Order: sequence, then C-alpha cells, then structure tokens
Amino acid sequence: MDFAISTYVDFPQHDELQVTASAARRRELIQVLLLTAGFLVLVAISAASIVFVDRARDDSSLVVHTVEVENQIAAVLLDLRRAESAGRGYLLTSEPRFLAQHDTALANIHANIRRLRELTLDNPVQTRNSDALQAAVETRLNEFRETIASAERKDQQGGIAQLRAATAEDTVKRITEISNAMRREEDRLFAARTVSADRSQQWASTVTIAGSGLVVALAALSIFLVRRSSRARDDAEAQLRDSNLNLENTVTERTADLREANEEVQRFAYIVSHDLRSPLVNIMGFTSELEELRGDIFKRIASLSHPAPLPQPSDVEAATAGLTEQDAKLSDDFNEALGFIKSSIGKMDRLISAILHLTREGRREFQPVPIDLRELVEGIVATVAHQAAEADAQIRVQPLPTIVSDRLALEQIFSNLIDNALKYLRNGVAGDIAISGETKLGFAIIEVTDNGRGIDAKDHQRIFDLFRRAGPQDRPGQGIGLAHVRALVRRLGGTLSVSSELDAGSTFTVTLPVKWALGRQGKTA
Amino acid sequence: MSKPVTIIMIEDDEGHARLIERNIRRSGVNNDIRPFTNGTDAVRYLFGTDGSGLAHKDEALLILLDLNLPDMSGIDILRRVKENVHLKATPVVVLTTTDDAQEIKRCYDLGCNVYITKPVNYESFANAIRQLGLFFSVIQVPQAET
Repeated sequence: MDFAISTYVDFPQHDELQVTASAARRRELIQVLLLTAGFLVLVAISAASIVFVDRARDDSSLVVHTVEVENQIAAVLLDLRRAESAGRGYLLTSEPRFLAQHDTALANIHANIRRLRELTLDNPVQTRNSDALQAAVETRLNEFRETIASAERKDQQGGIAQLRAATAEDTVKRITEISNAMRREEDRLFAARTVSADRSQQWASTVTIAGSGLVVALAALSIFLVRRSSRARDDAEAQLRDSNLNLENTVTERTADLREANEEVQRFAYIVSHDLRSPLVNIMGFTSELEELRGDIFKRIASLSHPAPLPQPSDVEAATAGLTEQDAKLSDDFNEALGFIKSSIGKMDRLISAILHLTREGRREFQPVPIDLRELVEGIVATVAHQAAEADAQIRVQPLPTIVSDRLALEQIFSNLIDNALKYLRNGVAGDIAISGETKLGFAIIEVTDNGRGIDAKDHQRIFDLFRRAGPQDRPGQGIGLAHVRALVRRLGGTLSVSSELDAGSTFTVTLPVKWALGRQGKTA
Repeated sequence: MSKPVTIIMIEDDEGHARLIERNIRRSGVNNDIRPFTNGTDAVRYLFGTDGSGLAHKDEALLILLDLNLPDMSGIDILRRVKENVHLKATPVVVLTTTDDAQEIKRCYDLGCNVYITKPVNYESFANAIRQLGLFFSVIQVPQAET
C-alpha cells in the first residue's frame, strides 16, 4: 500500500529575496556613480592644472619681458653716456681712438633703441614713451654730431661752448625723465605681473589639493560601500548556509515523521487485518456447522414426512431427496444463503490476506545488489513459458541494462507486469509481448509492451489502486498486482506509468535509478 | 501407568474455542479440556499462586495456545512454560491466526512443539484440528521426572 503524505517545506520568502536583489542593484549603481565622479574630478583637475600652468608660464614670460625692457633702457642710457664721454675725449685730445669709440657707441644706441621699440610694441604707453625717448636721444645725438664736427674743425672752444649750452642740459634731463617714466611703468607692470603669476600658481595648487582631497574622499566612500556590500554578501551567505542547514533538518525531520506515520499505518493495517481474520474464522466455522445442521434438519424433515424411512443418503446435496416440493424449495433457499455467505467470506479472506501480504512486503528490508535485468527477466519468462504457450503468445526480451537494486522486488515487479500482459491478451489474436530498456541520466527505463486488450484512458489511474480493476472482469485476480508493483517501484526510488488505448495494447514503463542506495529507502510500500 | 492427559486450551475467542473443542471431539479424543479465555487465569492455573508450577509436577498436560490474548502475549506464556523446571516437558501447540514466518520461527525457537495457523477455510481448519487429535493419540506425553 502506498500512503502518500504531501510534504510541506518552508522556503525563504520570495519578496525578501527581491528586497535583497534591489538593494544589491542600488549598491552597484552607487559604485558606478562614485567611480564616474572620481574620474570626472580627475579630468577636471588635469584640465585646470593645464590651464593654470599655461597661465603661469605666460605670466612668467611677461615678467621676463619687463626685465628685458628695463635692461634695454639701461643699455641705451649706458651707450649714450659712453658716446658722450668718447665725444668729449675726442674734443679734448682729437685722438681718432675716441672717435672710433664714439662711432661704436652710436651704432649700439641705434640698435638698442630699435630693440626697445620692438619690445614695447605690446604696450601703447611704453610705445609712446619709447618714441619720445628715441626723439630725445636723436636730439642728443645731433648735439654729439655738432660737437664732433667742431672737433674736426679744430674749433675746441666752439665745442666746449656747445657743451655748455643749456639745450644739452635739457636734452639730458629729458632723456632721464623719459627713461625714469619707462622704468616706473615697467616696475608697475612687473609688480602686477608677479602678483598675477603668484595668483595663477596659488590657483593651480588649490585646485590640485581640493581635487586630490575630493578623489581621496570618493575613494574612501567607495571603499566604505564596497566593504558594506561585502559584509552584506557575507551575511547573506551565512543566512543561506543557515537556511540550507535548516532545510536539511526540516527535510530530515519530516522524513522521520513520514516514516513514523507510515510505520504506524502499516502496523495499524497489519493489526486490523489480523484481527479481522479472527472473527472470520468463527463466521466460516459456524457457517459450516450450520450447513451440517441443515443437513441433519432436512434429513429429519424427510424422515418425518415419509414414515417409511428411505435409504439414508450421506451426501449433503442428496439430503433433499425424499422432501416434499415445499421443503425442497426451503432447502434450496437455505443452500443459496449459505453459499453467498461462504463465497463472501472467501472473498473477504483473500482481501485480508492481500493486505497482510502487502504490509509484510512493506516491512521487508531491501538489499541493493548488482542485477543483470535481462537475465532476471529471462528467468521470469522461463517460468511463464507454459502460460505463454497456452495463450499462443511470444515474449521477446531485448537487451536490458544492469542496475543496482533489490532482486526480489524486481522479480515481483516484472513477473507481475509480464503476468498481466499474458493475462489480458485479446482473444483470437496471437500475443506479442516485448520487454525493452535503455539508460538515461542515471535512470534505467524499462518498457513492457503488449498487443493485448488495452486499458481505457479513464482507467489509467484506477488500475494502480488497491482492489481496483479495469475492463471486463473475466480473469481471476484481486486487483492487487499493480498496486503492489507501484509501491515496490516507488520504494526503489522509481516511477511506474502506463500508456494504453482500448484494443491497442498497453505499455507499462518502469523507471528505476541505475544505482539505488539503501539510505534512500523509505518505507512507503 | 500414566495419568490421562489434560488439555489446557488458552484461547480468548470463545467461538474458536468451541470450534476447536468440537473438532477435537470429532476426531475421537475424549480427554479433559480446560478452557481459559485469558492469559492471567491460564498462568495462575499453570504456575499456581507462587509461580513455581509445582502443583502440576506429576501431571500430564498438553497446552493449546493462542498468541493473541487480550491481557498478554501467548509468546510470554510459551517462554515461561519452557523455562519452568516442572512444565518444560509439556507439549505446546500454538494455534493462532498469525502466519508470519518470523513469528513461527520465534515460537519454534522458544520450544513450541507444533504451530498451526488457523485457516479461514473451515474444512482445512477442521482437518488441522483432527490431525492434531491424531497427534494427541500417538504422542507420548512425557512424565515430569520424579
């Protein structure tokens, strides 16, 4: 018998899992955002650095430019002095050495003035100044030329007088003023440009420091988040482990409960069927006693209705001899009643025996051993060869796998299936029964196919129930075989199914694990 | 000369007891039959109030025993009888509905002499009892050693 009790196992709540998943997604998004932000900050720092460094370089070059302008002014003034003193020397001594010096200085002055003019092109104020300076210097150079001309005319006195002229004083003063103005302007520019360069550098360092700080902060945040998520993952793992453990415990517990319940049901079935038998013995016994009494009673009636005693028939059936028609009818009714009682008792006895047999089978411990299925099935076929010959049927055994299972159980399974196939052949059609098998994914699938009368689809479930049968009830049987087979197959960790159509044969498919282990034995038969 | 054997019938089902008795009689055995319908009374009778079984020291007994008794298991009675110095030679016939092979083996291991499964089929039942009657008539119930 199979007492199926559905198992209910607690699984972690589904929405709980969903919450965890969405939290994980959110964390992932935050990570990506942080990385992006960090990257953007770095890019900004780099760009700002480039801009500021560029600006600082510009500022520095401007500062250098200022210094150059000042240098140039100094060089002009210096050469002017040199030309003046050389001119005076020539005037006093008339030595050509001084004249050469004077000419060199003049050439330098021209070059330097041109250079200064070029340098100050960027600044309109200084351009004006340098134009003024050039004009003043030209005036001064004209004076020099006049002095030199006087010296060449040997007019020493005229030259000296020229030197004393007030105009010379004015020109010198003017040159000094202009150059001072230029210097002031350049000093102002120098100060401004230095400040600007400093500011640029300050900006660059500020931006770098702030950016680095931001990157460090982002990295810290990222590390914090990563650690938090890894902690969350560890927690989840621990939880998963726990729930796995719980699940296993629960399954073990429930299995134990089921096994206990099953054993109890079996004990119950055993005791009930056993105790039912006891009164049945009485019912049968006293029914037989009644039968005997009936014989005696009707014999007496016969002897009473016939004063002359007839020869005493000993047989019960013959006891009706010598009865009146009415009495004979009574005796028949009596017989009929007793007959029904006895046949019912017989049936009840067979049912009880079947239950006892099944419960006993259910309690038998299975022994897994390697079994060559083909050999086993051929053995069974040999024992039914006589029945097969009588039914005009052939049984073909195709190659079957070797599996590890319980030998006795397999013998019962296949002899029941083959018996059934032989029993329910179609009248007048030569029987053809085939047993074939294959192995798939650790399971042996064996099919017992016949071309017999078949089973109506509505009876496919019913035939596996205890004491239930299908089709015309013209064959002996209790309706136990398939129930027993299915219980055995289930205990062996397999399944049994049927596919069949009326008048088109049946195929019973037995699926068994190739390697059945003792530990998985549930007493569910 | 030996005393006539007394049959001790320990059977809780009165119907069974009646059927057994009838069939024993039909087989021509006329010995005394003492019926007990529960284990307690039977044990008190067999072993006496002191539990020694001394009272039946020299008596020839034969025990018909049902295993399913309301107050105790017939197996226990069988064990006690076979362990008792004065009673262990007494033949015990187990007559029960249990046809479990392990149960039968256990009874024989404990020293039961005959084990009969009560068949529902009355003819077989009557037959078994009659066979038992034949067995009674040939059996030499041994005297407890004096």
